[in-house]
This record gives sequence, structure tokens and C-alpha cells, in this order.
Amino acid sequence: MNTDAVTLRVNGKQLHIPRGSLLSEFISGEAPCGGRGSCGKCRVLAFGCLSPADAREKALLSAEELAKGYRLACMTRAEGDCEVRTLAAASPRILTEGTGEGYKASPEFLKYGVAVDLGTTTLAAKLFDREGREAASAACLNPQSFAGADVITRIGAALAGESARLAEVIRRTLNEMITGLCQKAKVPATAVGEVLITGNTAMLYLLTGTDPEPLSRAPFAVKRRFGESLMAGELNLFALLPQTPVYLPPCISAFVGADTVCAVLADGTVRGGTRVLADIGTNGEIFLCRNNKFYACSMAAGPVFEGVGISCGMRGETGAVDRVELVNGKLFARTIGGGKAVGICGSGLVDAVACLLDGELLDESGYLDEDPTYICDGVALKQADIRAVQLAKSAVHAGIVTLLSAQGLKASDLDGFSVAGGFGNYLNMRSAARIGLLPAELARTARPVGNAALQGAERLLLCPEMRDACRKIAGATETLELGGNPLFAENYMMGMFF
Amino acid sequence: MSILQEICETLQKGRAKQVKELVQKALDEGVAAQEILTDALLPAMNVIGEKFKNNEIFVPEVLMAARAMNMGTEVIKPHLAESGVQAAGKVCIGTVQGDLHDIGKNLVRMMMEGKGLEVIDLGTDVPAEKFVSCAVENDCQVICCSALLTTTMDVMAEVVRAAEAAGIRDRVKIMVGGAPITEEFCRSIGADCYAADAAGAADAAVALCKG
Repeated sequence: MNTDAVTLRVNGKQLHIPRGSLLSEFISGEAPCGGRGSCGKCRVLAFGCLSPADAREKALLSAEELAKGYRLACMTRAEGDCEVRTLAAASPRILTEGTGEGYKASPEFLKYGVAVDLGTTTLAAKLFDREGREAASAACLNPQSFAGADVITRIGAALAGESARLAEVIRRTLNEMITGLCQKAKVPATAVGEVLITGNTAMLYLLTGTDPEPLSRAPFAVKRRFGESLMAGELNLFALLPQTPVYLPPCISAFVGADTVCAVLADGTVRGGTRVLADIGTNGEIFLCRNNKFYACSMAAGPVFEGVGISCGMRGETGAVDRVELVNGKLFARTIGGGKAVGICGSGLVDAVACLLDGELLDESGYLDEDPTYICDGVALKQADIRAVQLAKSAVHAGIVTLLSAQGLKASDLDGFSVAGGFGNYLNMRSAARIGLLPAELARTARPVGNAALQGAERLLLCPEMRDACRKIAGATETLELGGNPLFAENYMMGMFF
Repeated sequence: MSILQEICETLQKGRAKQVKELVQKALDEGVAAQEILTDALLPAMNVIGEKFKNNEIFVPEVLMAARAMNMGTEVIKPHLAESGVQAAGKVCIGTVQGDLHDIGKNLVRMMMEGKGLEVIDLGTDVPAEKFVSCAVENDCQVICCSALLTTTMDVMAEVVRAAEAAGIRDRVKIMVGGAPITEEFCRSIGADCYAADAAGAADAAVALCKG
């Protein structure tokens, strides 16, 4: 390839880049498919000397769109001087609050501290003052999305040589977040005495630059499970003094991470009785406590509930349909912000499918009478979208049922069922039961606990004496591998019916 | 409705127990096992495969139909063997090393069996060499590899290399499939055939076995 430099203007900003580079390397944006040209979420407006559109781009962009200059950043190369305009990104709805009980900082915690929930899709963080009071909060999208929406694709990217870049972008974002929090609270970042970063196992591997090879293939034998303090300098968190301790809470296994452990802590899942905590996201985690014994499993539900892989799908942002109701046989859709609908987010999708079932526009096998079926002006669901929902909802349902039945339990045996995470918070539980995302008995009594991972992180930050207990919980938890589990396979396949 | 028609329709509804009873009844009435297979069971699975490809039905219906098919073929198998009926071809299938996901692979296996192929299932976490040695020992015409993880799909390239090293590339075709697999990936590793779904995989395997 010819590697002389060409000029690329990104939203007016001039860059000199090697000829033949992919546009996606120079714009911060999403690539849920990991740059394979299959999701179409990295579309930009591009002009100038560009590589011609190939079959994959033509499959996702209409001739009209291509003529207007729409391209996929992950497929388009700068053959000469060119210009790119990124499409306006709406502000995402990211949940920073949890519902767990209040608690007091340990008397010895006399410093500013930052707690971060480093999620695959989003980051949420809070700054606490010397009395343990919340001084500022912040949230943003995970910038690693250029390397895929799910953990496996990102692990794959890290193994393919992107490891340093993945660590660099997340560390840069953490620096910016910490700086921003301190500016909001009007304290110097150097006053921060400790940082606690929770996240799933893969996120902590990528943050610390740990070789993620064990996470990439069976038997998924992870050696490093954290529950350790590093120094800010080791993680290039230059906003902080280099000696500032950064505590990374313990992980349970390759796909049940420190975020689950933190959520369990905030939720009080281990306070006695038989309780389940479920975090429903791209990677779903289920934690069961029974007679002071702990069990967990994880399943890849896929990014459907984040709006990815659905033709009209989008995140929970302005313009997204987030509620659908069926009144006298007619569908009514509500959008975030109240304006015109431009797409549908996870909670809207679950509602929409439930309404289509109630209205008998969709049968129990998942067959759509009319393909596509309009939910409202501008938003429709196709047969393929319904199939994607069937796969995702059944994975979550089967994960819960399989973990319970492995212990000889039924849904009705539980004393408590908590649903953590943003999606769980906005989810209409009646709809979740209707489509079979959650077992009906559990959906009825489900308690949404919000961003429990961040709340648990706060607790571990402010009450360091709880860290030992957390390590014990993580170490004692038995992980049930669902891949290749025949009971899960049966539950999963038959659970695809509505 | 003739009994063959009845078998065909009952199978499409996924009523395994009923299919088994009907097949036995047909045998008792003197219908040849071969006729039950080619005029009732195989056409029923063809309809299921078509409907699945067109998104009219989904995984659970296919699974139920495939189970019904298996129940039916169990009944006629001894009779087919007696009359010396040959399988449409021989395939070995497995999920590649490092990957434990077998739901898609099992569905493909059942669809292939529904097409009258003999399928050797190597299970999950199968090393490249095992695919090749199985194909050699059993005279398989097709090796079929499945992967669900983007991080394990590269093992498929190892299978192709192992088949080359064993000198069987001229007589054994390699098929690949699974969520992250694409036509381009198939070409890039030098495999012979990519199938996007279980029904397509079964059709393709039959075509490959015919040569």
C-alpha cells in the first residue's frame, strides 16, 4: 500500500494521515460489529478522494444515501485528500443512581475519592468529599466501542494487536472523567486520595493491559482476578498523583466480574435467604445466593437490548421510542424527549413486542403477520428483528432458569429478585414477563436496583474494610458454565417461543 | 389423506410421538421403509428447511420437527439397513477448539440427518487434527466446523491447514458456519463452503457429498 500522507478533515479539523487509512481510525464513534462492515452504525458523511463502496456498504446504504455522501467509516479508505463529517450524536441516557440502602463512610476515610463503573458500553463515576458525601457525578460512553460492542469482539481486537490502543483510550477517558468531576466540585484532582474502578473481567483486563488470551477461549481459566490495589502512575492516570491508590475489586470468573460483585454488595443479595441478582446487558450475569452459598452464570444476550442488531434500533437517547402501549387495539409510542420517533431502544422494544403479542399481530412462535409492522410513524419492526429479540430474551430467561434448576430451585422459591443495570431500570416488568425475558413469577416481584455496580463501588471505596468480605464472596462463588450445558440448551431453544 | 401424507404433516408440526406411531403403522401396513423415508420424512424436513430459511418458522419449531424426524428414522433404520439403502453421504461435524457452544452445531447436525446424511458428531472444543483424523478414518466427504466466538473462529483455518497436511483436500470438502462467520472469512481461510443457517448447511452438505 502507498503510505504517503494525505489530508483528512474531520468536522473541520485538519489531520495528516497515511494514504489508504480507514476513516474509522480517525473518528471517535461506534463500531458495534468491530469494524466488519456488518452493523452500519458507523455511518458518516464523507467527500473527496475515497475508496469505492464495496458490496457490504452497498448492502447497508441505499444508492440515494451513497449519492448524498453517506459511507461506513469502518469500510471507507482515504485514497487522497478528503473530508468527513460525523453525524450528530445525541446525549445518551446513562444511569448513575442505585437504590441500595444508605451507608456511612468509614471514619478513617478522610480524603476525596472517586468510584467508577467501567462498563462495556458506558462509564459512570462519582466523586466523594472528605465526609463521604457525593460531590459530583459524570457518565459517558466507553470509547473502546470502535473495537466492537461486546466483550468477545474487544478481546479479539486486543489479541489482534489493539491491546495498547484499547488501554490508552480508556485511560484517557478516565483521566478526563476524573478531571471533569474535580472541576465540577472545584477541587484539584491531586486532592483525590483513592480511586476505585469496578467493571466486568474483560474491561479490567483491557484497562490494566493484562493479556486477555485466557478470556478468549475455553476453558476460560483466568489467573488474574483482581481484588488488588495499583498506583495511578501504573495506569497512566496522569490527572492524579502517581502514588494514588487505584483499587480494582475482585472478579468471580471470566464473564462474571467485579461489577457483579459490587452489585451484589449494594443489593444485599447475600444478606440471607434465597436471592437472585440479574444484570441484563449485552453480557448478562446472574448471581444466586442460597444458604450462604453463592452461584453465578453469564450468558451473551447480545446487544439487542442496546438497540444494536435491530433495524430501527438505537440507544436510549432523545428520539428513541422507550414505551409502547396498546389501547383499544391501537399502538401508542412514547419517545424520550417527547419529539418525533427516530428509532427504538431496548425498553421500547420489549414493550412493542409485548403489545404486538397482546394485539395478536405476532403469534407465540414469533411469526409476524405483516412484515414490517409499524409501531409508530417512522419506526417499524421486521421479522428478522423479532427473531433477534427471541434469541436475546430466551438467553436471559434460560440463564436464570438453568442456574436455579441446577440448585433444584424454582422461581417461586426465591425470597428476592433484583434487576441491576440501566436496561433493567427502564424495563416494564409486565412486558418482560409477557415476552418471556424474565420468568413471570419473578417479573411480578422484581426490584430494579439501578446502577448497583457503581453503588457497590462507592461502598467499597468509602468502607475499605468491606473489601475482604467481597474477596471472600468472589472466591467462594461457583460459576456454572452455560456453553455446552444441555439443560441450558433445551431451556434456551424452547424458550424462544413467546 | 394417505398415511405418508399424514406422517409428513405430523412431522412438520413437531409431534414426535405421533410420527413414531404413524411410521410404525405404515410399516405394519406394508409400506416400504425406503418409501416412508423418501415420500414422507425427507419432504417434511424439506418444507421445514424452506420455511426456516424464509424466516416463517424459528429454532424451536425446527428443533421439534428434527426430533420428530429422528423418532421416525429410528423406527425405519433397521429396515433400511436390511434392504441395503445407503446414506446420502457422510459428514463429520464439531465446534472448534476453545469453543463450547453446541446449540447451532446440534441444529445443523439434525438438519443434515433430516436430509438423509450420516453425521458423526465430534462435540465441542474439537482440535483441528481430530476433525481430519475422523474424516480419514470414516471416509467422510465433508468436514463441518462451527464457532460462535470471534476469538475461536481462526481455529477453522487450522482445520483447513491440517486437512492439507494430511493430503485429503482433494476428496474432503470443508464447510464453516456460526454467528461470526461470513462468506469472506470462508474464502480467506480457503474453506469450501459457508452456510448462513442450519437449513442452508444441510442443503450445501448434500450438494458437496454428491460431488
